[in-house]
Order: sequence, then C-alpha cells, then structure tokens
Amino acid sequence: MRIMANPSFMNGVPELLILRTLSSGEMYGYELVQAIRARTNQAIKVGEGVVYPALHALESEGMLKSRRKLVNGRTRVYYAVTRKGEKHLAGLVRHWQHITDAIGLAIGGTAHAML
Amino acid sequence: MPCFDRLSERLLRAGIAPRHVRRYTRELSDHFDDLVREEIAGGASRALAETQALSRLGSEDNLAVAMLERPELRSFMARFPWAVFGVGPVALLASSVAVALVAERGIIDAATVWVPLLGFTPGPVAAHAFTQIMLVWNTLAIYGAPLLFAWLFYWMGSRQRMPKAWIITGVVLVCVMGGFQNLTFYDTGCKGCGHLDLTSGLLPPFPNLAEGLARAALNLTLAGSLWRLAIRRRVASAIALHAART
Repeated sequence: MRIMANPSFMNGVPELLILRTLSSGEMYGYELVQAIRARTNQAIKVGEGVVYPALHALESEGMLKSRRKLVNGRTRVYYAVTRKGEKHLAGLVRHWQHITDAIGLAIGGTAHAML
Repeated sequence: MPCFDRLSERLLRAGIAPRHVRRYTRELSDHFDDLVREEIAGGASRALAETQALSRLGSEDNLAVAMLERPELRSFMARFPWAVFGVGPVALLASSVAVALVAERGIIDAATVWVPLLGFTPGPVAAHAFTQIMLVWNTLAIYGAPLLFAWLFYWMGSRQRMPKAWIITGVVLVCVMGGFQNLTFYDTGCKGCGHLDLTSGLLPPFPNLAEGLARAALNLTLAGSLWRLAIRRRVASAIALHAART
C-alpha cells in the first residue's frame, strides 16, 4: 500500500480496511480495491496488486473465506468476512479509534502549546 | 497481457506455497484485465490503458515483496525441508507397508470367514490362486510404492522449486530404503494356514542383503532415468514456449 506515513505506524491498516470493506458484502479483488479507494476518498492509494497477499494471509488465518464464482464467463475469487474476521475487525476498530483519539489529543495539545 | 512467469518463479523459489502463487498470478491477470477495461472506458487507447494498468497494479518488486512479507504463505515444505525430504521417506514407506499389511490381513481374515460360509471348500488350485493374488499385491507394495514415492518427492520438490539437494535426498532415501523392505505370503500347505512375513534388509540379521542392494540400485536407476527424461521434456517445452513467444 502506498500510504504517506511511517510504515510501522500503519501496521494493521490494510487488514482493517479490507475487513471493514468486506463486512458490507463479498467482493473480488478489483471490486475491493475500488471500494477502498471510494471509502477513503482516494486518500489511500493502493498499489492494487498488493491487496492479494493480504487477502490470502487473512484467509489462511481464518478471517476471510473465499469462493469461486462465474461472472460474465470469467471465474472470480470472491472474499467474505468470517465470524472470526468480524471479531478481529471489532478489535482493530477499537484499537484504531484509541490511536486516533490519542493522536487527536496530542495534536490538539501541541497546537494549544504553540498558541 | 502481462506475463507473471518471472514473479511466479521468484515467489516459488522463496518458498511461497504453489497454490498461493498460482492464485496470486491468476488474480493479478484478472485485475489487470479489469484495469485495462476501466482505462479504455475512460477514453484511453489500448496501449496507454495497458501501461496505466501495469502502473496501477504495482511493480514486480512491490508485488513480490508484498507476498514475501507474509511468512504464513510459505509452504510447509519450504519451512521444514528436513521433515519432508528426511523424515517423509521413512514415514511414507512405513505407512505404506503398514497399510498393505493391514489390508492383506483383512483380506485373509475375510476369506477365512466368508469362504466356508459360502459353502465353498478351497482346494489346492484355489489356494495357489490366492497365493498368487497375494504375491501381486506384495510386489506392488514393495516394488511399486518406493518408485511412486520417489516420483512424488520429485514432483512436489520441483513444483516448489526446492534446491536439488533436498529432492535428491528424498528420492535416494525412498529408493534405497524401499529396496530393502520385503512383504511375503507363503502357503504352508496345510488347510487354513498361511504365513505373512514382513522383513527389512536394513535391520539385523540383515536378511537378503544382496537382493536389497540390487533392488535399491534398480530403484535408483529407474528414478534417475525418469528424472533425466522429465528434465529433457521440461527443457524442450521451455524452448518451444520461448520460440512461440519470440
């Protein structure tokens, strides 16, 4: 993922975005990438092919399940969130809200000190 | 249409499981097609659409690194080659002999119970035929199984692009150890009798050592010849593919 931030700070972001986006329904890779772009207002630009290793890893951890589906004469691999994935997503969301709240506080504090 | 052969080779050599590599390259090809369609629908020419699609998909390095950063996608064989090519031959040979033995014992027991119930009294001809069937079964189990497993190790190792040393270790172990195992059924001549015997020439008192050595050599020769044949075929198909592309 091409994200304008410190990579270590972005740990778990691809998983969060993928699980959150797929929680609204099953999608195939291309569809998922476009949905992530739309949901993040294109702020996060993905090297689109790199989404698949994350999908495979999440599937091997049991967070996602996949199935092949024939659409317009082409076989696509559709991914959907499992129950385990939903639980993991809830944890990730809580974690990220905690971080963004903390950063919000820090930024507010800095701005206040500078004034 | 981009060719992901180089990416695929790189991932396999790095130990990513073949099923993940196959699926990854197929998904990338599909994704590329979708991107080209999107770009063309947006007014780009075919050539420009393909260039844009490739750029959006990511460079080969990025695509490879994204996969290599996921250790959970590495195959068991790549993580524990000693288990597959070192312990695997012993375990496979032992289990194949065990399965053959249990199945044979089951057939003998079933025959002992069912043949009298069916009102059939086996004579010397039936006993001889039964012994011959057991002989074929045992021959398949002790001669065929090592060669089958040698092919399995070659196929699995090549598919994962494992170092040749590991594949050779597995093939040699299975050929040599398989050459020394023996499973025999004798008709002792008395009614309802028979003798089922399992031995290994590698264990004391080392029965039929010379025969075991000869069979191990035969296994190795056959496996080596098939290996050379497979390599020749692979080279020929690679040359044909290269010629077709150029």
